[in-house]
Amino acid sequence: MLREEELKTFVEGTTRYFEVAAQQPATIGSPYLLEGETAMHDYTGMINVSGKREGVVYFTAPRAMLTVLLMKMQESDFSHESMRDLVGEVANTISGNARRDFGHDFVISVPSVFAGEKPQIPQSPGARAFVIPIHWRSHSAKLVVSLT
Amino acid sequence: MQSSGADRVRRLLTAAAGALLAALMALVLIVGFRLATRIRANVALLQRASLLETYPSALSQQLTALRERLGTLEYTGGVHQELADSVAGFDRNLAALERRPGVDRPVLRAAGRLWKAYTPVLAPVLAYSGEPYSDTDFGSSLSVSGKIYYTQVRRAELFAQSSAPALHRRLAALSAALQQRTSSAASRLRLLLSVGVLAVLLLGAAAAYLQLARSRGERAARAAEEQTRDILHTVREGLFLLDADYRIGTVWSQALTHLFGREDFAGLSFEELLRDKVSPATLVTATKYIKLLWGERAHENLMKSINPLGQLEVVLDNGRGGKETHYLQFNFHRVVGPQGVKHVLCTVADITSNVMLARELHEAQESAHSQIDMMVSMLHSDPLQVGGFLDTAAAGLKHVNAILKEPARSHAEFSRKLTGLSRELHSIKGEASALNLMSIAQRVHHLEDMVEELKGKSELTGNDFLPVVLKLDELLAHLRAVREVILRLSTLKDGTPSPEGTLSSPILRLRERASGAEELAATLQGLARKLAEDHGKPFTLSLEGLEAVPAAYLPTVKDCLIQMLRNAAVHGIEPDAVRRAGSKSVTGLVRVQFRRLESGCELVFEDDGAGLSPETLKEAAVRKQLLTAEQAAELDNRSALALIFKPGFSTRAEVSMDAGRGTGMDVVAKAVYALGGRIGVSTHPGRFTRFKIALPAPSQTAVA
Repeated sequence: MLREEELKTFVEGTTRYFEVAAQQPATIGSPYLLEGETAMHDYTGMINVSGKREGVVYFTAPRAMLTVLLMKMQESDFSHESMRDLVGEVANTISGNARRDFGHDFVISVPSVFAGEKPQIPQSPGARAFVIPIHWRSHSAKLVVSLT
Repeated sequence: MQSSGADRVRRLLTAAAGALLAALMALVLIVGFRLATRIRANVALLQRASLLETYPSALSQQLTALRERLGTLEYTGGVHQELADSVAGFDRNLAALERRPGVDRPVLRAAGRLWKAYTPVLAPVLAYSGEPYSDTDFGSSLSVSGKIYYTQVRRAELFAQSSAPALHRRLAALSAALQQRTSSAASRLRLLLSVGVLAVLLLGAAAAYLQLARSRGERAARAAEEQTRDILHTVREGLFLLDADYRIGTVWSQALTHLFGREDFAGLSFEELLRDKVSPATLVTATKYIKLLWGERAHENLMKSINPLGQLEVVLDNGRGGKETHYLQFNFHRVVGPQGVKHVLCTVADITSNVMLARELHEAQESAHSQIDMMVSMLHSDPLQVGGFLDTAAAGLKHVNAILKEPARSHAEFSRKLTGLSRELHSIKGEASALNLMSIAQRVHHLEDMVEELKGKSELTGNDFLPVVLKLDELLAHLRAVREVILRLSTLKDGTPSPEGTLSSPILRLRERASGAEELAATLQGLARKLAEDHGKPFTLSLEGLEAVPAAYLPTVKDCLIQMLRNAAVHGIEPDAVRRAGSKSVTGLVRVQFRRLESGCELVFEDDGAGLSPETLKEAAVRKQLLTAEQAAELDNRSALALIFKPGFSTRAEVSMDAGRGTGMDVVAKAVYALGGRIGVSTHPGRFTRFKIALPAPSQTAVA
């Protein structure tokens, strides 16, 4: 069973990115369990976790949110590639936070990025996905943690 | 410790021997110095005595020479002077000997007496100062005075020749005595010097031994110091000593640096060591405990048993820029000396892995016990009922998840979720309790506790719901496990394996054999037995007309009856003593009656318990802050009775598995209203409480 501290580490990694990159903290909405439906927005940055836990953690956000985020970061390039890089960076920050808190207990992959297409998410048997809505300004993204 | 004591004794013995030898050396030197001084004085005396010894014969010779010169008319002045010098010399040396100690007095006195006898004969000779010769034409001859002088010289010569041997013997004896004394002193000095040399040799040997022992001791001390350093570098526990001011000493183990992420321990107070690591309350307790350890009468085992730092949760840097929760175990041992407690030895061990392991073990044991309990309760349960419950619970938890999923950003939005969550969870728990599925009921109860705790928070955020969703996940996993057990039991009871290998088929087959009314009746009777046993209130449950409950209403009727039955057991039926005092039967009665009417259906639930007291209800509503005291005072009895349908209302101060959350009648009312029905309550204090639920006729679609 996933522990609260572990879940908080991933959540903190995500909200921290907004705080550092856009100088405006993100808040989290009401967490729930994913039930069959997909939780994908336009862009998704994902890390695979192995070791003490097995599964995936991904951050998925709509294009509109990423555009505003780029603007807040004084970026002028709103291209498809910039969006991909941005969700990749968020995933990277989540990964860094997890490495910091869990050390060698977790083996974390390099982030992979998906845009538009539905990513192939490896499902571990018995793993239930926790969805944590990430609110920033008027936009919402999702952090999905699916680990056993 | 023994080795150290032996070393101390050896050092003391060596020091004593060294001091003794040094004293001996000093004595030898002092005595030797005195002996040497005495020998030197004796030698001087001996010289004088030897010189005196020569005088008697010298005097005889000088007197003879003087007489001969007078006879041959030679010049006598020179010999006369020599004689005078000899006499003066004898007197001087004799006087010197008389003044010095250590001379043989009787012999000296005898020699003195003999010498005094010389004086009458020598004095005229020495006193002569005239011209002994007279010159004539016939040549020179002795003058008159010269002749007298000659006679006196002759007499003195004869006296000296006769007295000289005796005087010489006395003086020789004196010299011999002095010689003997000097020889004796010299012998003693030689002996003393031998002793001195021996003492020097012994002192040297002692010094060499001492040096050897010291260097051996130093080598041992260096080796011990190195070993101590190795131990302190290698040991995995933090070790240090606390002094009487509760400050850390100058030596500590390397592990302490890793445990606390600092190196400046010397002189650090115990309070400063823990200040940022523990809560203020723990810090105060720990500081008081440390002070207790210095008490002379503190019993070590007792102190150990009340150690507040046996498992201390601290947050430490993980070395990668993050923080980690660790569990540290502090142990304290008093170091007692002759003057009382000298130090307190503290050992600090990181028992995080042990705590985690124990926790996992405990969880595994809990899980195993829970599995066993579940299996046992399954064996005593009707798989049909449990299967039905699992379906209901799954639907309920799906609804719980749906409530969680509703978007929320503000406190108000988060707060609204809590009421819905409570209601849903309470229903599930009620049914789980009714089926004696305590492993599920307890988990739901725990989840309810979390929700209740959130209700008390002034500012809710999404973070507060993370533990709730985790607990929901755990509950769902447990339901899956229960479902798995039911599947296996059903398969065993059927004697045929499930052809589809799925859960639902055996349960469905069982369901086909039993009607919903039978299932409901069995559930209610089971719950009634359990409630009577749990609360020590025997009562009979009378069920009438349940077979008339339309299928569409069965879930609602079931939920309502479960909640009302629990309320009746907790609030309605009185304890034995109260019932006896009220002249009632010890066994209570709960009556359920379902009837189909032309206008619809009627469900009556009645217990012969304490009834409802409007005043008690008002007081509870004020206590729960659902009403102000003024509002409560204005309520009539009818409105007061209606309070029991308010969310959050309960007359119970404490929460238990069966009551106290104020959710039960709220659930009943909501379920009845959802079907378009009505609910009413009537009561007579001390006699009964009756609920009457009116439901509309079910639609054809719903019946189907």
